[in-house]
Amino acid sequence: MSAHLEIRNLSVAFRDHAEERLLLDDITLELGRGEFLGLVGESGSGKSLLCRTVIGLLPSRRLHVTQGSVRLDETEILGREDCIRGRRIGMIFQNPTSHLDPVMTIGKQICEGLALHKGLGPAAARTEATQLLRQVGFPDPERSFSAYAHEFSGGMRQRAMIAIALSCDPEILIADEPTTALDVTIQAQILRLLQDLRAARGLSIILITHDLGVVAQTCDRIAVMRQGRIVEHGEKRALLAAPVHPYTQQLIASHPSLSHAGTEPVRHKHDRSPVFEITDLDVTFPQGGGLLMKRRGFRALKAVSLKIWPGETLGVVGESGSGKSTLARTILGLNPASAGRILFEGHDLTATSAQLRRAGLDRLRTGAAMVFQDPFNALNPRLTVGETLAEVLRHRGETPPAEIENRAGELLDMVGLDRAFAPRLPRSLSGGQCQRAGIARALAVNPRVIIADECVAALDVTIQAQIVALFRELTEKTGLTLIFIAHDLAIVRNLCERVVVMHHGEIVEDGPSARVFARPEKPYTAALIAAIPDIDPDRPINGGIPFPSQQEFAT
Amino acid sequence: MHRYRFVLFRPLQLVPVLFGISVITFLLVRLIPGDPARILLGTRATPSALANIRTQYGLDEPVWLQYFYFLKNLGAGEMGRSTLYKVDVLKLITTRIEPTLALVGMGVFLALLIAVPFAALSARRQGSLVDHAVRLVSTAGLGFPSFWLGAMLIIFFAVRLEWLPVSGYGETFREKLSHLILPGLTIALSLSAVLTRTLRAAMIAGLASDVATAARARGMPESRVFWRHVVPNALVPTVNLLAVNIGWLIGGTVVVESVFAIAGLGQLMVRGIFTRDYMVVQGVTMTFALATVLINFAADIITVTLDPRIKL
Repeated sequence: MSAHLEIRNLSVAFRDHAEERLLLDDITLELGRGEFLGLVGESGSGKSLLCRTVIGLLPSRRLHVTQGSVRLDETEILGREDCIRGRRIGMIFQNPTSHLDPVMTIGKQICEGLALHKGLGPAAARTEATQLLRQVGFPDPERSFSAYAHEFSGGMRQRAMIAIALSCDPEILIADEPTTALDVTIQAQILRLLQDLRAARGLSIILITHDLGVVAQTCDRIAVMRQGRIVEHGEKRALLAAPVHPYTQQLIASHPSLSHAGTEPVRHKHDRSPVFEITDLDVTFPQGGGLLMKRRGFRALKAVSLKIWPGETLGVVGESGSGKSTLARTILGLNPASAGRILFEGHDLTATSAQLRRAGLDRLRTGAAMVFQDPFNALNPRLTVGETLAEVLRHRGETPPAEIENRAGELLDMVGLDRAFAPRLPRSLSGGQCQRAGIARALAVNPRVIIADECVAALDVTIQAQIVALFRELTEKTGLTLIFIAHDLAIVRNLCERVVVMHHGEIVEDGPSARVFARPEKPYTAALIAAIPDIDPDRPINGGIPFPSQQEFAT
Repeated sequence: MHRYRFVLFRPLQLVPVLFGISVITFLLVRLIPGDPARILLGTRATPSALANIRTQYGLDEPVWLQYFYFLKNLGAGEMGRSTLYKVDVLKLITTRIEPTLALVGMGVFLALLIAVPFAALSARRQGSLVDHAVRLVSTAGLGFPSFWLGAMLIIFFAVRLEWLPVSGYGETFREKLSHLILPGLTIALSLSAVLTRTLRAAMIAGLASDVATAARARGMPESRVFWRHVVPNALVPTVNLLAVNIGWLIGGTVVVESVFAIAGLGQLMVRGIFTRDYMVVQGVTMTFALATVLINFAADIITVTLDPRIKL
């Protein structure tokens, strides 16, 4: 059988005046008819660029195809992408929110494709569009037809984008990180939808992702990309079982897996007083209202009670909107509590007396530090790494001025960053290096507690593994208390000895990681664990558990 | 349709705003130096005649009482008698409001007519010669004062080419229209300079946006991507910009109406100030303020219609 899509010796270069840099280097790849191909690689590996080249949408005018051919059904399409774009090869993107037109109804956007590619009139297009919406899982397609993107949740938006891509009736669908911005349970649903669509419409699908777990469960074949080259490709079982290329081996080793044993719980002496003691914490965000209208509120945290013991590594997991970040921000005093009590080492951060509260906050600021999700935005872009650390040390006033530079160097050593990085600006660092600098800054206050809010979510898997290892080393060496907030359960399983599961602003489960992951007590926790993509190719999507009937809907 | 609920509630919020406007204009007008009674009767008026006039217009009452009468009369639909025209100010305003409204409308219409195509041309060929020319002209357009621009337009189109009337307003619709083109253009040229720049920036951002990429990936032709996806998204900030500029625009009519001798509110305002006609200045200021508030209200309705995400 001939290949559906055949890429031969394709190279793409970035050309700026005299300089020429090869971004895609001699790519040869085939997609069989009805095949589900997974294209895996880290950021900057060229996987998105490859697909953009295929449909002729190079992201910059300075990019040029220097050699090679792309054949669709044995017809060369390179340079003639206008005829196939949308009509024969459709594409869906990572962020449905920014890729859907916010001021045009979902239905109209589908009809647009139907009118253009199939020449349907308004009435016929409407009927067809409603059917498409039903096919991608909208429960009330008639109503959703005239709704706008912002009225839907992230998962439904991604379904809408799939429906819009299908409106052109393509033979090949390229999905560029379609589930990266989604919660795990929703991710599993979207992956299932893609598989169903392949079966129903005979689509060939290329799935671009950084997550080996996602491809292991959905694809037939896997191609691994690195630095613009395909380093390895083959049937998924063979490739995962016996990876040849060292990079593939590293990628597989870095994948946080549930089947690997995590950290064994360390016995804690609970006779010591807790670092944080949170009682019935409520946080309500005001919503709407005005001069004449009644104010309503959104309860982000509902009567949360939690004790965090010294030296503990606590993972807080939950899907977006579960209140895990609000919890972190509130216990750090970055967000006012609406009700309840927070004690930090016995000091009341929610005391009614301003003086007591300030005393508590002072203690908190010298005893706790935060590491943020986006390392680039969290560091001052105008300060070098060394200056950032020196600023904190100077402010703390515990290090004599002459010692500051030396101490900053020690901090860099602790996070495994070479001292040569001190005079460099954040923008000249990679994501992983930058996050190390962010951790060094947190360590500069010599904290007893570190709160890390999704601090590895923006990083590549291999880098994620390194940062997790760094945290493990720090907590083991220094007896630091770590509150690690993440949506990725597998990472938490590997790093934390205790885990708290949050859902809709409440703690649904709290216990030792080993126990929670092996025998979850609550159905929600079980559903969350089942949805984690695993690199075991024999494990079906969502652990084979049928999906609960559509949970996430428009308000 | 609850997104439009603000249409019901917003007018209630306007009440305190209008009250504030009335207090401020009332007080400001009274801070203007000069004695209105003396201006009315001339410098050789007898003291008793002056006193009579003051009693007749209530100028001898305490300020707070004058304000009370002002409010009471306003409630009854009277804005006080103009000392110059000897008629009720409300009546003056109703006869003078039409040319001003028509002028502002013409100005905005022509400005959009100029700005949208030029911004589109410029944005779609970013970095080209056309783009540079549009940007240069729109920057220059910001620098020309409207009294100079108006005079130049008159010299060129009305005096040299004799295409359009020099000044005044007309009687019939056609006459009015032809009289409005030059003054409308005067307003439009400076307004379109601001609009073109904002629209161009919004369109360039839109062309590079994910929405446009996704539309292209569906095989949409570039013109459709632009007019159906980029332009509607770019219009939202533009409407807001127009609303913000509307106060400036109405103020601009004062100058333009003087240059083109159009008997509108702006001209009435100027004459009122020079003759210390308190009631006229007060009435016109209130009208301008009310117009600004109402136009912003209308802009809110348009924004909500254009962008379904916005809730007010």
